[in-house]
Amino acid sequence: MTSVLKGNFTPKKTVDLEPEKKDLETRFENAALKRLGGSIAFVAKKKIKWDADE
Amino acid sequence: MAKILFINPVVREEDVPRHVPYGIALLAAIAMDRGHLVQVYDANAWRRGEDVLRAVLRADDWDVVALGGITTTYNSIKRIVTAARDECPSSLIVLGGGILTSLPREMMTWLPQVDVGVIGEAFETLPEILGMVDAGQPDWTRVAGTVSRSPDGTLVLSPQRALIDDLDGLPYPAWDLFPLEEVYFKNSDVLYSEEGMLATRRLDINASYGCSLICRFCYHLGIAGDMRYETDDKGNVNPAFDKPGTYTRTIRYHSPEYVVTLVKHAYDTYGINFVTFLDENLMTMDQHSGRTWLKEICRLWHEFGLMPTYEYDDNGDIKSWTGVHWSGTSHATLCNPEILKTMRKAGCSHLVYGYESFAPHVMKTIGKGASPASNIRSFFWTLESGIRPIPNQIIGFPNEDFESIRLNMEAWKKLGIVVKPHFATPYPGSEWFTVYRKSILKQYDGDLEAFILDLGDASAISAVISHNFNAIELIGLREMMLKDDTRMIDAYEKIWCENHGIPEGAPATLYTKSDYGHAAE
Repeated sequence: MTSVLKGNFTPKKTVDLEPEKKDLETRFENAALKRLGGSIAFVAKKKIKWDADE
Repeated sequence: MAKILFINPVVREEDVPRHVPYGIALLAAIAMDRGHLVQVYDANAWRRGEDVLRAVLRADDWDVVALGGITTTYNSIKRIVTAARDECPSSLIVLGGGILTSLPREMMTWLPQVDVGVIGEAFETLPEILGMVDAGQPDWTRVAGTVSRSPDGTLVLSPQRALIDDLDGLPYPAWDLFPLEEVYFKNSDVLYSEEGMLATRRLDINASYGCSLICRFCYHLGIAGDMRYETDDKGNVNPAFDKPGTYTRTIRYHSPEYVVTLVKHAYDTYGINFVTFLDENLMTMDQHSGRTWLKEICRLWHEFGLMPTYEYDDNGDIKSWTGVHWSGTSHATLCNPEILKTMRKAGCSHLVYGYESFAPHVMKTIGKGASPASNIRSFFWTLESGIRPIPNQIIGFPNEDFESIRLNMEAWKKLGIVVKPHFATPYPGSEWFTVYRKSILKQYDGDLEAFILDLGDASAISAVISHNFNAIELIGLREMMLKDDTRMIDAYEKIWCENHGIPEGAPATLYTKSDYGHAAE
């Protein structure tokens, strides 16, 4: 656990962070985004807004 | 004593966090020196979103929540002050930095959660605000360098804050309040030179404030003598910056002893192996000092044992080093071969040059005091010294035209320059912003806040100030420049001339000097 607050006194509450865990889907989409272009294209699954019934 | 939470807003989300915010680190150190209780939340370093931000805001009873940054942090600052007002209804919210300084009235209007804005340099203003919080009788109008709200909601600017004279009186930045090991040292590499790429423990320092030049695109944050208070025809006082015919500057720099002792402190305390000088223009200071400042910094670099010594791999390439490599900013007409060689011997690996353009007619209009010839001369001097010159380029200048585009492409080819130019961008506080304000508003349907939200680091396009090309043309032309495709550029010039009614043989430009400030109107 890592505290995100750093200072010269101890605050009333600490704010600790668990190591960030990105799921496979997020890691894939981030990696693909960095190389976007040409045949590297992907569907951002969490951003689909079109209802299949439309 | 006041309990203060500093928050560093998110900037350049497209990249990893690379720079400890120097101003906030200095202000945190100043506040601690005055006995205040200080915590720092570096939202840019952690990038954990709204839940963590709100938990931080609920972590204590903050007397003051203070934040600031450059103009491109606006998006993040807007989110932070909204959450801060929700979670900390009785805290004083203070906003400073370049973002507030260039547009104090607009920022205070768009961000009603902010109680006090700090205009210009905060080294003395913030401690005075904290002192008033301690005294329990706040009257911000008595603190120079602020904008605040009167009981009826109107904005009140106190008198202009003077810049401090004694820079060496500043404490060292409170680097230990930032996640160096967790975040920043992991992102130490800077892809400007081999040594920069190999840096594993980098910190930034700022050795000077100001620049003697009057580049039309520069904003000096109100801390370079570039800001004046002027009264408009309605009687409102506002900060004013560079405008045609009116340029003011104050040049200030730390002593070489302060600079190198600070680096030695960082070396001994944090084990750094690279330092980036954030200074606007190291060569301005060197010239202003009679060519003694950089020479003395370099001499002390050796005397303090900071000169790098290398370990090599089997191919004879540098693998690692002890000591500290460094980099900074230079200027085509202010550097000379002697100082460049001296800098290299003291461990300087690369210098950023705003070459901007290799077209004489463009360079004449931008206030840089440089020409294509001086660009090329400094380019070779720097290479010959063993330092990598970083040749920054811009397209989309007010008088950018097909000729300037071709001249740039020819120069890139001859000089081996590999570059994707920035787009000319009229940041608030720059002369371009003052001159093109009406045109910018027109491009954003009268919504200045929309323009501010759109601003990035100028690698993407926002408001256009070119008189010849619109945003789509500039993006297309940049793409063709990168591909060195003169055939397509030549073909488009013919179409462009037809579209604009320019007869064959006439100059392919719509720009005239008297049009300056009237793009896209």
